[in-house]
Amino acid sequence: TITGNFANVIHGLNANHLTDQVIQRSKRMILDTLGVGLLGTSTEVCHKVTQYSKIYSSNISSTIWGHLDFRLPPLYAAFVNGVAVHSMDFDDTWHPATHPSGAVLPAVIALSEALPQKQKFSGLDLLLAFNVGIEVQGRLLRFSSEARNIPKRFHPPTVVGTMGSAAACAKLLALDQMKCKNALAIAASYAGAPLANAATQTKPLHVGNAAKHGLEAACLASQGLQGNKQILDMESGIGAFYTDYNPQTLPTLQSYPWLLDQQDVAIKRFPAHLGTHWVADAASSVRRKLVESSDNLLPLDKIEKVILKVPEVKYVNRPSPTSEHEARHSFQFVACSALLDGSMSVQSFASEKVHRPALRELLCKTHLEHPPDNTPSFESLYCEVSVVLRDGNMISDRCDTFYGHWRKPLEKEDLEKKFQSNASSVLPAEAIEGIIETVYNLEKVEDCSVL
Amino acid sequence: PEETVTSSFASFIHAVRPEHLSKTVRHRSKRMILDSIGVGLVGSTTHVFDIALQYCRELYSSGAVSSVYGKPGIKLSPTLAAFTNGVATHSMDFDDTWHPATHPSGAVLPALLAASQMLPPSTKPNGMDFLLAFNVGLEVQGRLMHFSTEAHDIPKRFHPPSVVGTMGSAAATAKLLSLSTAQCAHALGIAASLAGAPMANAATQAKPLHIGNATRLGFEAALLAARGMEANPLILDDIPGCSGFSVFYSVYQPKPLSTPSDHHEFLLEKQDIAFKRFPAHLGMHWVVDAALSVRNLFINYAGSFCPSLIRTIVLKIPVSKYINRPFPSSEHQARHSFQFNACAALLDGEVGLSSFTESNIQRQELRELLDKVVVEHPEDNVANFDKMYGEVALLLHSGDVLTGKCDTFYGHWRKPLSKESLLKKFRANASHVLPEEKIETIITMVDNLENLSDSSQL
Repeated sequence: TITGNFANVIHGLNANHLTDQVIQRSKRMILDTLGVGLLGTSTEVCHKVTQYSKIYSSNISSTIWGHLDFRLPPLYAAFVNGVAVHSMDFDDTWHPATHPSGAVLPAVIALSEALPQKQKFSGLDLLLAFNVGIEVQGRLLRFSSEARNIPKRFHPPTVVGTMGSAAACAKLLALDQMKCKNALAIAASYAGAPLANAATQTKPLHVGNAAKHGLEAACLASQGLQGNKQILDMESGIGAFYTDYNPQTLPTLQSYPWLLDQQDVAIKRFPAHLGTHWVADAASSVRRKLVESSDNLLPLDKIEKVILKVPEVKYVNRPSPTSEHEARHSFQFVACSALLDGSMSVQSFASEKVHRPALRELLCKTHLEHPPDNTPSFESLYCEVSVVLRDGNMISDRCDTFYGHWRKPLEKEDLEKKFQSNASSVLPAEAIEGIIETVYNLEKVEDCSVL
Repeated sequence: PEETVTSSFASFIHAVRPEHLSKTVRHRSKRMILDSIGVGLVGSTTHVFDIALQYCRELYSSGAVSSVYGKPGIKLSPTLAAFTNGVATHSMDFDDTWHPATHPSGAVLPALLAASQMLPPSTKPNGMDFLLAFNVGLEVQGRLMHFSTEAHDIPKRFHPPSVVGTMGSAAATAKLLSLSTAQCAHALGIAASLAGAPMANAATQAKPLHIGNATRLGFEAALLAARGMEANPLILDDIPGCSGFSVFYSVYQPKPLSTPSDHHEFLLEKQDIAFKRFPAHLGMHWVVDAALSVRNLFINYAGSFCPSLIRTIVLKIPVSKYINRPFPSSEHQARHSFQFNACAALLDGEVGLSSFTESNIQRQELRELLDKVVVEHPEDNVANFDKMYGEVALLLHSGDVLTGKCDTFYGHWRKPLSKESLLKKFRANASHVLPEEKIETIITMVDNLENLSDSSQL
C-alpha cells in the first residue's frame, strides 16, 4: 500500500542518502526560518499565542470525569473527556448526522471548572451554552445537502463539532459579538478530519479534538485574535469541507426556533455505529422467532445463510472484523452477535466475544444486499434480516425504527439505566444518583461546577 | 449594510438568553447531558482513553522544557513551544515557499527544535540526525503534493501548510524519535485527522496559526503514535466511498515512494525553494520587482517620482481572489494585496518590514496611488508560482506608457538569493531580538549542522 510504503521510507532513510546540494539548500532554509521566527516574536499575533500558551504553566486546571485523583489543564481535560465520550461509539447521534454532545459538553464543563473563583456559572448558564453549541452544529449541517446522508469524506464531528464547541465556549465566556465571530473563524482553521480513521483507535480523537480545539479557538478569540469574519459565508471558508454549500442566516431571536425542538437525537443502546442498531433490532426479533419454532434453542447448524438488507455504507461493511473498533463498525458482526445472544450490550465487543468460533462461523454465512430503496440516511434507512435454513425455510424481520432512534426515543427509565450501568464502572452509587439529580434540575443549580 | 451569515451567527451566540429555551428543548438537552456523562464515565475504562490520558499527563507534568524563539527566559511544554514558534514563523508571511505551493519549513522546524530539547541527554540527536529528520519532513510534504494536479496552482480551498505541513511534521518528528515503521504509518494516520484548514483565514491574523498548528499537531500525532495509538493504515491510499487523506483534494492520484536503497532522490534536489525578500505573500514579489523596474524608467523619464503625472496604473496579474485587494485595511490584508505592494514599491523604491506598519498602510499618498490602480488578468498569466509573471504599466496623462515586467523575482527558485543576501536577511531579522554574537553563533552552527554533536544546542 502507499501508506505502508511511506512508512517504510520514513523509517529507512538515513544520513547517507543526503546529497551535498540537498544539505546546502536545507541549511539555507533552516537559517532563514530561524531568522524569520526570531523576527516574528515581536508581532501581535505571537504575543497573543504566547500569553495563551503560558496558561499551561499555571495552576488552572479541570477534572477528568470520574477521576478525582489529579487534574489537567482545561484544554487537555476537554480533550481527554471528549475522547472518553466517543471511545466506544456509544454517544448520541443527530440528524443530519453528527455526534453533537461529545464535542460540546467536555469543553463547557472543563471551562466552567477552570475559570477563577469569582466567576461561577449557574446550571442554567451551562445549559444555555450547551444548547448554543448544539444549535450551531445543526444549523451548519443544513447548509449542505451532502450532510443529509451518512458521510463519506469528512467525519462530521470534526467539521461542525469544532464550530459548535467554539460557539458554546464563546457563549459561556460571554464574548462580545466581534469575538464570537473570531472564535468561529479561528475554529474553522482547526476543523476537518477524514473518515478513513473511523473504525480505528483514532476515531475517538475526532470528538476529543473537536472539543479541545473549539475551546482553544474561543480562548484565542477572547485574547483578541482575529480571523476571517466571513468564515461561514465563503466557499473558501467552512464551504471548503463540502462540495455544495449554501449558507443561510439564522432566524431572529424572538421565540427562537431551536433545531433540537424540531429534531431530537438518537441515543444508543449499545456501543456501536448507529447503522448497526437497526440490524440489532431486526436480528433480535428474527432470533426470537427462530427460537420459538425450535424448543427455545438457536439451531445454529441448521442455518444456511444470513442475508442483511442494508444501505450502502462502506465503512460499516466489514465481513470479518478483527478489533473492537472494527466490530463496532460492522453490520455483519452486530447481526451475528444479536442472533447468537439475543441482544447487544457493552460486553458484546469484548475480545473473547469478537473472536469466538460460533460467531466466526456465522459470519462466514453472512451476506449483504443493498436494495436501491435503502438510502444511506439515518432518517430513512431500514434493515431486513433474513435467516435461510437448510430445509429451505426463511425467517425474516425488518426494522424501520430502532428503539432509541429519535422517532422512538428511550424512556426515562431506560436512559437512566444506561447511565447507571455506565457510571457504575467508575463511580459509587450515591455519586451516580447525585449526578442524575443535578442534571435533572440543572436550571436550578446555582453553581454548575458541582457537576 | 446587509447581514452576513457569519455575523448572524455571532449575533445569535451573543444575544440569546435562557428565556429563549423552550420546555421541550430543556428536557431533551438534559437527557443528552445525562447520557453523555454516563458514556464518558464508562469510556474512561478503555485502552484508547488510557493512551490519551497518559499523553496529556506527561505533557503536563514534564512541564516546560522547550524554548521559545526570542524569549530566553521562557520555556513551554514541547508541543506548545512548537505551536508558538510555528506561529512566529508564519506571523508575517515571511517564510519560505515551495513548488507545488506550501510553506514547508515552518511546519517542520519548530517541532524538531522542541522535540530535540525534550529528549533526555543520553539520546539527544546530533546535527546530522536533525538535518535528516528535517528533510524527511520536507520530502513527505512534496511527495504528497504531487498526488494532485490541484496542488500545482495557487490554492483555493485548503491552505496547503495545514494539509501537507501537518503530515510533514508528523513524519519529521517520527523520524527524529526513531519510531518503528508501523508507528510511522500511524503517525501519518493520526496526523491526517488533524489536518486541513480553509483558505478563508489567509490574510487574517489567524493565518499564522495554520503553520503553528501544522507543526504542533504533527508533533502530537507522532507522540501519540509513539505511545501506541493506532489509526487507519491506508490513510494515504485512495479508497472510494471512505475518504482518507484524499479528502482534501478533488483529484487524487497517490503513488508509492521508492524504497531508499542507496540512492533516493529528494525532491529538494530537483526543486529549490523561494525565499522572500520582504514579508508578504509570494505573489507580491513579482509585482514589486516589476514595479521597481518601471519606477526606474519613470524616474529617467520625469527626473523624479511624480505621482501626479500618472493617470492609471495597470497591473497584469493572475487570477487569485485572496491576494486581490484594492484597499487593504490591516497589515495582514496588505501582505496579501497585489495593489498595495505595487504602489508601495512605486512610492518608496523598495518594500521592507516597515512598509506594513499601520501608519505606512494608511498614508495619504499611498491611498491616492491605490485609487489609480486597475487590475487585468491576461489569459497567459497562470495562477501558479512556477509560471506566473507580474507586469506593471504606468499610463501617464501625457499619453505615454511605461511598463515593467517580471518573470522571475530575485529570491525565486529560478533566481535564488545569494549567500550574502540570505545572511543579510537573517541578520536583519534576528537583530530585533538577539545580540550580535548570538546571531553569529547561530549562523555558524547551522552552517556546520552535520558536525554538531547535540542538536538541542540550536
